[in-house]
Amino acid sequence: MLLEKEMKLADVIHHDYNLVPIINRFGIMLGFGDDSIEAICKKEQINIDFFLTILNAFHDPQYLDNDYLQSFSASLLIDYLQKTHRYYLQNKIPEIEGLIKEMKSEFELDNVSYNLLQKFFIEYKNELINHIENEENRVYPYVIDLENAGHGHPISATLISRIKKYPIHSYEAEHEDVEEKLTDLKNIIIKYLPPSKSQRIRFRLLKELTVLEKDLNDHARIEDLILVPKVEILENLVISKQHL
Amino acid sequence: MSSTKKVIVVSNAFLLTSGIEKLVLELSGMLVDQVFYGSEKKLSDKIISKKPEFVIIDPDAVSDILIPLLRELNEEKDIKIIGLVSSTSSRKIISRFSFTLNVEKSKYQLVEAFQKIVGKEEKKKSNNDQLLSKREKEILQHLAMGLTNQEIANKFFLSVHTIMTHRKKITRKLGIKTLSGLTVYALINNLVDMREVERRV
Repeated sequence: MLLEKEMKLADVIHHDYNLVPIINRFGIMLGFGDDSIEAICKKEQINIDFFLTILNAFHDPQYLDNDYLQSFSASLLIDYLQKTHRYYLQNKIPEIEGLIKEMKSEFELDNVSYNLLQKFFIEYKNELINHIENEENRVYPYVIDLENAGHGHPISATLISRIKKYPIHSYEAEHEDVEEKLTDLKNIIIKYLPPSKSQRIRFRLLKELTVLEKDLNDHARIEDLILVPKVEILENLVISKQHL
Repeated sequence: MSSTKKVIVVSNAFLLTSGIEKLVLELSGMLVDQVFYGSEKKLSDKIISKKPEFVIIDPDAVSDILIPLLRELNEEKDIKIIGLVSSTSSRKIISRFSFTLNVEKSKYQLVEAFQKIVGKEEKKKSNNDQLLSKREKEILQHLAMGLTNQEIANKFFLSVHTIMTHRKKITRKLGIKTLSGLTVYALINNLVDMREVERRV
């Protein structure tokens, strides 16, 4: 189903619960009453085209294609991606770490398995942090520079050489190892951790990991299908402008 | 039943994609893992990283990159590539695929054709279950202890290439791809001792 601005946000959430973290990322808090998406965006000063694109992209993976690139700025997109990163690091990761600890205190895990699981998750977390820091410190500032240059700011020689040496497509396909570790972790929990009498927390852990996995996939898709093509357009624009 | 088989679809046409998804559901133990548009960047890398058993491609969706795409996918021996064709498809395109499905056929003709493609695969794999062989266990133990592929190759008088092949098989059987994941598996199953792992690290 295509989500449109006339719909009531409450109906949308009833229809697809997975969108709760997304609206939260835009600063919309539950308790918003019976308002339409449009009304809520106006009240919260959210760019409605962008909000609908992201909502639809998470709701239906087949929604995204290249027609949506022009309706919002790259900085808006980056602001959103950074909020998503914060959500992973400040909410999801601590939640999952908490569940792993709880599994031990509730005797769902022996000491050996606990240590292994915890160590593995720390490794995963560090990789995720590295990946995020790399994007935020190296890729995003570059995109902002490009956008500024596209809007008439002076074009520096550094920027030009950067476009030529490390264009955006050289950053693609870096998500992989982070994804692989998460899949491995799920398989370890589903198949290989020794069974325990009660598995209440193990179920919750598995659910949280699955939700995180889906969110990361959608995040990567938004980067690949919106950010990268958008940046490529900016790169070409800046290259063509430098001679004017 | 053996494990679930993943299908990747490359198509831009919604009606076609929906039809394929329905067709795949008719065969037990198969699912459409992801649908890609033909215009996506690094398409073959993305497909290969999903480790599908089957890739169904609409040649129209990838028109000018069909040949390089097929070349890269064909290097992955575990992936069967199926082309969607019709009575109007050129012979040149049909001949590029080792397997084809004709989109004009009726439901059960398609199910039967698809089953035949899947069936050929089934027989080859049936004696190859999830259990690790003795050699695979040995290699896993040494990986967990922190040895490199080269070191393991030297130890067993095998080539690095052979070690890599074993490693791919281990990953396929266990569903675990990363080295640290494999180490956790080896420790949980007492294939190695924690002290042996820590000594190397």
